[in-house]
Amino acid sequence: MYDIIIGNMMQSPLKSLDYFQKSYDIRVGQLQEEKAKGTKIVGTFCLFVPDEIIFAAGADRIVLCGGKTDTIARAEQSLPRNICPLIKSSFGAIVDACRNGSLSCPHVHLVDVVVAEATCDGKKKMYELLPEYLPTYVLDLPQKPCSPEAITYFLSELRKFGKYLEDLTGNTIREKELKKQISSSNETRRLLHRLFDLRRRNPPPVTGSEVLRVMQKQFFLSPDQFREGVRQLCDEVEHRSPPSGSGPRIMISGCPMSAGNTKISDLVEQKGGVIVVEESCTGTRSFWELVDENKEPWTALAERYLAIPCACMTPNDQRISRVVDLAQRYHVDGVVYYTLSFCHGYNIERLLVQKALKKEKIPLIAIESDYGDSDVEQIGVRIDAFLEMVS
Amino acid sequence: MITAGIDAGAATTKVVLMRDREIVGFRISGTAFDFLTTAEKIYNELLLVSHINKGDVDTVYATGYGRNSISFADKRISEITAHARGVYFLFPEVKGIIDVGGQDSKIIVVEDGCVTDFLMNDKCAAGTGKFLEYMAKALEVPIDELGNLALLSSYPAGITSMCTVFAESEVISLRARGIAKADIAAGLIASVARRIVVMAKRMALTDQIAFVGGVAKNAGIKVALEKELGVTLFVPFEPQITGALGAAISPALISRY
Repeated sequence: MYDIIIGNMMQSPLKSLDYFQKSYDIRVGQLQEEKAKGTKIVGTFCLFVPDEIIFAAGADRIVLCGGKTDTIARAEQSLPRNICPLIKSSFGAIVDACRNGSLSCPHVHLVDVVVAEATCDGKKKMYELLPEYLPTYVLDLPQKPCSPEAITYFLSELRKFGKYLEDLTGNTIREKELKKQISSSNETRRLLHRLFDLRRRNPPPVTGSEVLRVMQKQFFLSPDQFREGVRQLCDEVEHRSPPSGSGPRIMISGCPMSAGNTKISDLVEQKGGVIVVEESCTGTRSFWELVDENKEPWTALAERYLAIPCACMTPNDQRISRVVDLAQRYHVDGVVYYTLSFCHGYNIERLLVQKALKKEKIPLIAIESDYGDSDVEQIGVRIDAFLEMVS
Repeated sequence: MITAGIDAGAATTKVVLMRDREIVGFRISGTAFDFLTTAEKIYNELLLVSHINKGDVDTVYATGYGRNSISFADKRISEITAHARGVYFLFPEVKGIIDVGGQDSKIIVVEDGCVTDFLMNDKCAAGTGKFLEYMAKALEVPIDELGNLALLSSYPAGITSMCTVFAESEVISLRARGIAKADIAAGLIASVARRIVVMAKRMALTDQIAFVGGVAKNAGIKVALEKELGVTLFVPFEPQITGALGAAISPALISRY
């Protein structure tokens, strides 16, 4: 329902956003062709699965992480109701596609295998149900990323994953190719840094709703398509005249907003807030760290991916300091802490984030919500009051 | 300067008229299906009894859940900000506000009338006026008498459920066991108070707390809250109008806003 009100009313729509939509249509056809030719397509759910290894093995990938509400009822026929909507939505889409041939998620039919990851409890247990529908590989993650053994272990997991992909595709992962993929992914990450840097302007030349919709395409499109899109977007945004008036600068921090889920960002901006940065999987977490190109590539990948500050890790001090750092770097007036309903990791971690922000006198409002529209009014009241408070 | 504040609440609509810093009058009425009709009706009534012409009102401010429906309002503010201003007008020393209304309950932390933090219960009738209304019905007691009835109890019954539907079945089973009406009422009041106190403690409210909203008229809840919090609560002469009052206080009249 919010699609009609997105974007900044005072500014002309961004042409480069059309590029992303067109690319998506091309992308689906491209994957179908690849699949027909025998290329293996990997479905992923999470930032912790390194793209570079998948592409270096000659496979392709598309994201299966669900942000739509319509597949949740299907999932609730088997999953408990009181778990996170992202897990239910993703699972429902797979069941729908594999049992009923439904296209509620058009990606499911494209994939040969699912590569899952041992992040939160809900996802891990949901992944155990997937083999009934699709071949599933689970990449293990150490949960204490700062322990010295963690990198060693994760490195061995990545190599095992590489071997799995080699068996799947019949190709060998060559170091030269892996390095090439790393350097190309880094280029995308640098472009995203450029895009986010432009948002430090006051007022920023691009809205949070616009950026979110771009970030959601990150794992749908091919890396080349996405990189080209971000480049065009940066060039366009760089010269876009800023909106005349401007409300308080807001940071969104917390759970991912998978494609289909833009509720909170849209509400904040509809109420007059200006989102300047998202500390989330559909924001900084997806691109902030670069892979060290001077190191042995497997080790460099292990280090970079293990540094993703997800709430499934403990302790997660790197996230707490990241949030404070971003809040200061982007000169935010307040933080909207977004938790998907029943996401215990991010929900509990909020206490530490709030404490750290309080020290810096940065206010935070906690919003917990699912994919439905039933709470839009109640959340709207809170956001109104929060924006008045930080103005 | 004459200003009007309209608090279009989920359960009741409140209107306050102010001339400079004086409250001219106020009006409270149950909200009908249409927020606008109720607000227009009591606003016009209040103007009439106050001998003020509509044209003489400088600004009409709307707040509350239905504030966007009040088409004749000039400006709108959220009820959180409105309550903070209204309570500041009455009790400038207040640092925390407990507002329990028909549909939600909120805790507001204030500093010199400015909101610094707040918490609202969500999506559920637990700890709100609605909960008490249903429970009064289950006890066959008029809602106005529930609080006083509870004060008569020496052995409050234990009510564990926060869910309106489950608590109602708990009440029915207590009735079936022959527990005295006053004891059940006291149990219900205690359960709502506990719920509110958890929220208040989450926001670290300790002293100088105001209690507003329709439920603040319930003596039983006030006593239960004071016991749990260990403080005497500030309750305005008419606790339902602080939102409308805060809306009516023109920002121009208070230098710091």
